[in-house]
Amino acid sequence: MLRTLILKELRAILASPKFAATFGVCSILILLSVFIGIREYRTTESQYGEGIELAAQNLRTQPSWMGLTTTTYRAPDPMQIFIPGVNNDVGRLSGINGFEDVKLKNSIYADDPIFALFRSIDFSFIVQVVLSLFAILFTYDAINGEREGGTLQLTFSNPVPRSTYILAKLAGSWLGLVVPLLVPVLLAVLLVMLYGIPFASGDWARFGFFLLVSLLFFTFFIALGVLISALTQRPATSFLLSLAAWVTLVLIIPRLGVMAAGVADPVPSVAETEAEIDAFSKDRWDQQMKEMEARWQTRQEAMKGMTKEERGAYEQEKEKEWSADDEAGRMSVQKDIDGFAVRVNEDQRNRKSHQEHLAFALARVSPASAYQLASMSLAGTGVSLKSRYEDAMREYRTAFTRYVDRKQKETGGQGGFRITVDSQTGFHFSAPRERGTLDVSDLPAFLAPVTRFDETASGALIDAGLLAVFSIMAFAGAFLAFLRYDVR
Amino acid sequence: MLKLVIEKELRDILTSTKFTVSFGACAALILLAFFMGAAGYKADVARYDAARRENLKQMEGLTDWIMVRNNRIFLPPRPLASLVAGVSNDIGRTTEVHGRGELPQDDTRYGEEPVFAMFRFLDLEFIFQTVLSLFAILFAYDAISGEKERGTMRLSFANPLPRHTFLAGKLIGSFIALAVPLLVPILIGCAALSLLGVPLSADEWARLALIVAAGILYFGAFLTIGIAVSAMTARSSNAFLALLVFWIFAVLILPRSAILIAGRAIDVPSVDDINAKKFRYSEQLFTEDRLKMSGFTPAKTADMRKMVEEFQMFMGQIADERQKKMDEFSTRLNEERANRQAVQSAAALGIARVSPSASFSLAAATLAGTSVSMKDRYLEAAQGYQQTFGKFILDKTGMNPGGGMVFRMRTGDAEKPKPIDTHELPAFVFTPPVLADVLPPALTDLALLVLYIMVFFAVAHAAFRRYDLR
Repeated sequence: MLRTLILKELRAILASPKFAATFGVCSILILLSVFIGIREYRTTESQYGEGIELAAQNLRTQPSWMGLTTTTYRAPDPMQIFIPGVNNDVGRLSGINGFEDVKLKNSIYADDPIFALFRSIDFSFIVQVVLSLFAILFTYDAINGEREGGTLQLTFSNPVPRSTYILAKLAGSWLGLVVPLLVPVLLAVLLVMLYGIPFASGDWARFGFFLLVSLLFFTFFIALGVLISALTQRPATSFLLSLAAWVTLVLIIPRLGVMAAGVADPVPSVAETEAEIDAFSKDRWDQQMKEMEARWQTRQEAMKGMTKEERGAYEQEKEKEWSADDEAGRMSVQKDIDGFAVRVNEDQRNRKSHQEHLAFALARVSPASAYQLASMSLAGTGVSLKSRYEDAMREYRTAFTRYVDRKQKETGGQGGFRITVDSQTGFHFSAPRERGTLDVSDLPAFLAPVTRFDETASGALIDAGLLAVFSIMAFAGAFLAFLRYDVR
Repeated sequence: MLKLVIEKELRDILTSTKFTVSFGACAALILLAFFMGAAGYKADVARYDAARRENLKQMEGLTDWIMVRNNRIFLPPRPLASLVAGVSNDIGRTTEVHGRGELPQDDTRYGEEPVFAMFRFLDLEFIFQTVLSLFAILFAYDAISGEKERGTMRLSFANPLPRHTFLAGKLIGSFIALAVPLLVPILIGCAALSLLGVPLSADEWARLALIVAAGILYFGAFLTIGIAVSAMTARSSNAFLALLVFWIFAVLILPRSAILIAGRAIDVPSVDDINAKKFRYSEQLFTEDRLKMSGFTPAKTADMRKMVEEFQMFMGQIADERQKKMDEFSTRLNEERANRQAVQSAAALGIARVSPSASFSLAAATLAGTSVSMKDRYLEAAQGYQQTFGKFILDKTGMNPGGGMVFRMRTGDAEKPKPIDTHELPAFVFTPPVLADVLPPALTDLALLVLYIMVFFAVAHAAFRRYDLR
């Protein structure tokens, strides 16, 4: 009985012109989205390569170790083909030097706002918006359409248990919609391989998980359509309700949840925190200046009453010690400022994290948000993208500044220039010993953080679980609703 | 006759449950967009004020205006930007002003808070673009085919009713029945804006009115194409499917794909390349200047202060020259890029306008002042402020900002210098574009929407002429 009913359902779906049209459209859109995703990835790849090359060139042409500065870039991830997430919104690069904190800037959308107008079309977008709409389109009259057509009565003139019928409906609809869609998905995978996109085994695992999550999302909407159909008598009603449900779940709730969190739990802007750090920095440097003056005074005191030759000899003897003292003073200032910045940024990050948790909790009322969160987690293009890279770049900055300090000591001299104006000796200006090009061959390279499957998968587990729960609830709801349905 | 048809249509629509439910939903969403817009605007204003306060605070206690290093200006929030976000969340809002040199715009809203980039905002433009068009399709898909299915078409045409009258009556009737009630939540939303303490100038009200007009035109376009498609098939379900496919392509797919494909096809010099060139050139200039500095000898005088002053002036001079050369070089590169971007923009948007949805979005963004040109306008205003700031520092210290060096005199001065009054600092004023500025570019898109309505009506007319009424 079950098998017969499932086959009947499958035949009904696959033979309808509705199916041919929507399957055609879905396939075209899936392939289009992956095609565009591949092209965008290629652009990002070449941008990244060019950036790295330029940074290397710039390192070689700087004249001195002091104030040496370079740039680090975010590396492209092949999963961005399917789920770009916030990749285009977060900065691509950061300057690395001794005096500025790491900050990602020059996002793709900021540099070229034309692309920000309508944003991107990607595989996860097609699943989220188009496939869910078509799922509803097919199932909104699953039950009440048959009732209106009279075939429901016919079916139940046979000894068919209700549970069997509804199970067959759900299974048949699911098979009839999911299985054909595997074709364009496989073609899309083929396309990616044909273009030679570098997919490691961990990437394939992530992609597999992403397909699973997409399937769960699609399943939910199939079940939702059947559920609404089993709750209403007329297809016209269920159609309206299903459309309203789709608009609310897919378009409205995700945005609303996030906006509400933004208003209810605001976070101070970066401009504020940067000004805070600037104020601290200014005060600390003031303090250092005073200390340096005091030091200078004591040094002058020590040399009081010496002759010119004695003074010269004394200065030469003390030069190293004095340099070391000045250097220590400078380094303690930098350390204090960095420490303060770290505290301020951490505080900021905590508040942001709190806001994000609220936003996600509100948005997760809709399975569309859960789907988006799960897929962005898997691709590494969710909110963690920015913090992951900024943390890695900050670590690199420490290594970089240590390297530069070491090199400065090795080659001797501070670089920069020194100006002394003395009431007795007059005006002196000394410039650094110029070198041709710097030998940066032993400079540590920036290693972009790698997204591993186990990390991303565990992040996506909550939302994948949520999608499973949503689907199960919808199935159960459809089941229960039909048990009490008036089949006449 | 026409009046009768229109009245019939009005009555049919306004008394249906479909109308009550879907209009209720639309109205709720429109009001929601207004409320969220107002709340978002007030939150943005609070942050803007806080940022400006912090900016002044970090200058307090400085004793010389030449020591001001990190003067920051911010893009002020405007109510229309909260209703029609456009690219306002994608462009940098903070600019550090040094009195001369480049003005990089940092800290985009989405870049700073990626959580908003994930789900983005629910603004009025989004509601109009997605929900209004669906609303139109919902009522238009069975306008013709539904009547045929119900048998009322045959009844109507048992009277001496010309086809074009019927069609026109259908269209006008549906439009009035649906668009006029929509004005109610819109007007309530506008009233709510003022009540919630969101100030709009007269010019902004005018622009908002035009944005609403664009929305109504957009709605009309979808209504017309809906009726046209309905007049092409005998079964409503087919009409709805076709319209849904049309909706998906027009609203979701076409604008995005057009921009991505056409935009990427045009070569624009990359930001990284330009920055690298500027960096190398500035290194070159610095090296040249270092040689000059080594060769500096002040006039022989015993007064240390005079020597320092002379050196400061010398430093200021070479810095000015260096900055001029750098500015020329930068401007040339930036202009090249801007020109190519303009070509790219024209090509990409031109193709995107094939979709009425893109036309509407562009019209709304242009009128709200949040179109792609917003970035350039902010940059221009920032450059204007840079001049003001530069002159201010010149007046106060006799030197161009960033050029001189600050010397500490170790002469044991008894007098303590007075701290600067930060409130003297000129404020950054960014005026949003006025109606006269935005109307010409927006007019193209508004006209395009009208054109779409006319074309779709012609299609409907042609389809209905051959329609089997039985």
